[in-house]
Amino acid sequence: MSEVIPQNAGYMVAAYIVTAIIVLAYAASLYRRTRGR
Amino acid sequence: MSDLLRHAWVIARKDLVIELRSRTAFVSTLVFTVLVLIVFNFGRDPTATAVLDLAPGILCVTFTFAAMLALNRAFQLELENQALDGLLLTPISRRSIYLGKLIANLAFVGLVEAVGLPLFVVFFNVPVGHVLPALAGLIALATIGFVAVGTLFSAMVIRTRFAELMLPVLQLPFSIPPLVLAVLATAKLFTGRPLDESLGYLKLLAAYDIVFIGLSTLLFPATVEE
Amino acid sequence: MTLASRGRAVTLVALLLLVGVYVRALAFTPLERFQGAAQKIFYLHVPAAWSAMLAMALVGLASVLYLLVKDPRYDRFAAASAEVGTAFCVVMLTTGPLWARPVWGTWWAWDARLTLTLFLFFLYIGYLLLRQAVPDPGVRARYSAVLGICGTVLLPFIHLSVYLFRTLHPQPIVLKPSAPSLPGVMLVTLLYSFGVFTLLYIGFVMQRYAVGEEGSHV
Repeated sequence: MSEVIPQNAGYMVAAYIVTAIIVLAYAASLYRRTRGR
Repeated sequence: MSDLLRHAWVIARKDLVIELRSRTAFVSTLVFTVLVLIVFNFGRDPTATAVLDLAPGILCVTFTFAAMLALNRAFQLELENQALDGLLLTPISRRSIYLGKLIANLAFVGLVEAVGLPLFVVFFNVPVGHVLPALAGLIALATIGFVAVGTLFSAMVIRTRFAELMLPVLQLPFSIPPLVLAVLATAKLFTGRPLDESLGYLKLLAAYDIVFIGLSTLLFPATVEE
Repeated sequence: MTLASRGRAVTLVALLLLVGVYVRALAFTPLERFQGAAQKIFYLHVPAAWSAMLAMALVGLASVLYLLVKDPRYDRFAAASAEVGTAFCVVMLTTGPLWARPVWGTWWAWDARLTLTLFLFFLYIGYLLLRQAVPDPGVRARYSAVLGICGTVLLPFIHLSVYLFRTLHPQPIVLKPSAPSLPGVMLVTLLYSFGVFTLLYIGFVMQRYAVGEEGSHV
């Protein structure tokens, strides 16, 4: 078995960015909705 | 206990009598079933795929659609006649009402399937004679599971907006286990596998039915109480 | 401090710690030899899955409790947990295929776990749609509780059905086990991420619960 590590960092980056977007978007939505409470 | 069943039967009979008088709903559901079978036939390339590969899926999906239609009709009937409100004023227990509606729905769907199955055999030339009892039992078990949950939900969606849309949306995830198990078992039966290979699936179907009839009976009062 | 402001504080701490997870996972955790960099998606995907499942289990529990005692706070909690669970479910559904594509060679596979994810998502959506469609709060609470309980009971059946379905149609691609035995460094990153996602769940639910307080459209 060759020891070459697969070059797929693109997917990792995409996943980390997408997760950040979803989490931050939801956090922002909650922040707006709880303003003034 | 006997009160429960007796009242359930009274309610079921009332619903079924209404059905038999007009027959429109039954005929329409039957026509729909036939149309779905026909569409499936034209949806495949006869030279590319053997019928036997697709047959289990075609049968089970067709019956699922027919059952959905039947549940919708049950709910429409409720809406028109407001029979449910009248029923709730009687001293009949909520559980009897649920069981009665379940029996009526099952009878309706069962009749459609009883006519649909021979048509399926004719259209797709699938030999089922030798496995008919097992097949019938399998279809019955899967239908029971599907209709049990559907009867519960159709009582719920009456008071929601977009009710005709809500029922399928809520119902479909719950139809997957009976559907998958039925397709798996049907495939075994159609390809002539020995019966005990399907037994596991049938047992699971029975478990699903018991769990969800029990759960629905328990929860039904919550959907109709004031 | 109000519930909302405490929720905001918890969320803020969780978000800062999440940055820590990112840094640790990306820069300080070694590459996995067979899956490459894509394996690191695992540090987000699995904790998100945990939060999504936890959220659904709590929706189920709160639903049972609501039907038993009719305390509207349980209903409000269920609504909050469902919305938060949906958000984590979306993370799970997006990171899953992004991980599957490089590692399994396909964006989607009808295996037990991914399919369960999809069904969890449909249950959440159905639950939220139902809540939107019922104007009366008392009726809404009861109906949601019924759906919540049925949905939670359904999940093990889905898992079982999909598992049975899969074993009959084996994948030509060999599935990589997700976590055979993690070396220490990776395990620590994963556990840290679990903690952060749990904290994030708590902060989100606190805020969402607070939003529900004025009761207009929970």
